[in-house]
Amino acid sequence: MHIPDGILPAQVCVGGYAIAGGVTWYVLRRIRQVSNPTEEIPKAAMLAAAFFIGSSINIPVPPVSIHLVLNGPLGVVLGWYAWPAILIGLFLQAVLIGHGGLTTLGVNAVMMGIPALIGFQVFKLRHQVGKGWSMTQSVGVFAFLAGAIALGLAALIFFGLIVFTIPAELNVLEERSALTALMIAHIPLMFIEGIFTLMLALFLLRVKPNLLDNPG
Amino acid sequence: MAIAFHGELYIPKSSWIHRWAVRPKLVSLLALLFAFAMVRHVVLLPWMLGCVALLYGLAQLPLGYLLHRLSYPGLFIIAMVVALPFVAGETAIAQWGWFTLRQEGLAAATLVSGRFLAIVITGFILLGTTPFLDILKALRSLGLPPLLADMTLLTYRYLYDVAAQLATMQQAMRLRCYGRVRQRTRRRWRWLAALFGTLLLRSYERSQRVYQAMCLRGYGQMPSRSQHFSVAADPVITPIATGLTGIITLAFILAEWRLSTP
Repeated sequence: MHIPDGILPAQVCVGGYAIAGGVTWYVLRRIRQVSNPTEEIPKAAMLAAAFFIGSSINIPVPPVSIHLVLNGPLGVVLGWYAWPAILIGLFLQAVLIGHGGLTTLGVNAVMMGIPALIGFQVFKLRHQVGKGWSMTQSVGVFAFLAGAIALGLAALIFFGLIVFTIPAELNVLEERSALTALMIAHIPLMFIEGIFTLMLALFLLRVKPNLLDNPG
Repeated sequence: MAIAFHGELYIPKSSWIHRWAVRPKLVSLLALLFAFAMVRHVVLLPWMLGCVALLYGLAQLPLGYLLHRLSYPGLFIIAMVVALPFVAGETAIAQWGWFTLRQEGLAAATLVSGRFLAIVITGFILLGTTPFLDILKALRSLGLPPLLADMTLLTYRYLYDVAAQLATMQQAMRLRCYGRVRQRTRRRWRWLAALFGTLLLRSYERSQRVYQAMCLRGYGQMPSRSQHFSVAADPVITPIATGLTGIITLAFILAEWRLSTP
């Protein structure tokens, strides 16, 4: 779910870079407040590489197979580091694979990264909302919500940008109905992404629970 | 997903573009990319593609490099613009049953494809004539935060190792009959979640060892600001190339502004 070069007007690309710059400044500030960056960089970089490669895993959804976006799991596992990981992942994807683009890097980072940070905040809610629940229940429910919400928001931004900025000759009603149809088509994918995030979080809870404890 | 290796990205030559200093080259070509992204008039497309062809010729990059690297993003853009002539616009040019080819949609698809080609090829010229690590050093010297620069370097360094590890793990899964016998989707998903979780786990454990090794080599003790680029810059070519690219960038911005004002 990346927007390639040439699709969006330059103003939108520049706007994307401006928002991405602001989010980067805020996230780096938060990172310095809550952790020791020197110690965390190798962990975040290696996990970013694993997410980059892991996004190529085919998930069978009979009769086809799909690739997951994984921005929800990135928020769940990396916390604030999900933003730099996504920024770097998108840059490397544009450079090494030709997926996405250099002019749309800011827009793509906003589209994938802000939902990942929201996914992280949703996953953190388990400490308040899921207080009386068992660990498995609270991690499972909030991991599912983090994965599904992050994908849903990314899809909303993606289709919003595509529908409202490219075909200038579409009328408002057509644009609105196209956006609604595309979002409805993504509800099953939100469910799949949520289920996969839940399974991943429960696996990590079983074998390495401290990977899910990100300071916020 | 075919990840380009370092040898596939950078083509060592001694062309003008190769000998252009990395920092001004990066800034100039990025400015040119954004000037191309600003183009909204089809009449500017031939000029834009002509400039890119000239730059590509000057860079002496082989045509095979372009065709190989263009295949994946090219397929993606085709999928994106193929519907545009049929859904956008009002002026019908031709009709086949339910499908109506529209003039405005066709113009939008041509514009998007032309812009895409110009931007992507300019990006390839930058990557094909500059070692990836030099681009990172230039970005660092232009103000990229150290956390992002270090994370990019480490992610790039371990990307291929993690990819090899995933390939080994997937082979081991197939040897244990994953995908060879009929399995319920739920069970296959559980296998895949465990596969991805294990990949994260191994990467995490390795990162602890990498961090300890980095500390032993003095990481975090003093700021590292290596300004040495692996390709020597030519003091004559650099100002000429930077100036010419600046003029071309300005020309596109002015032409677009002139065409947009009634």
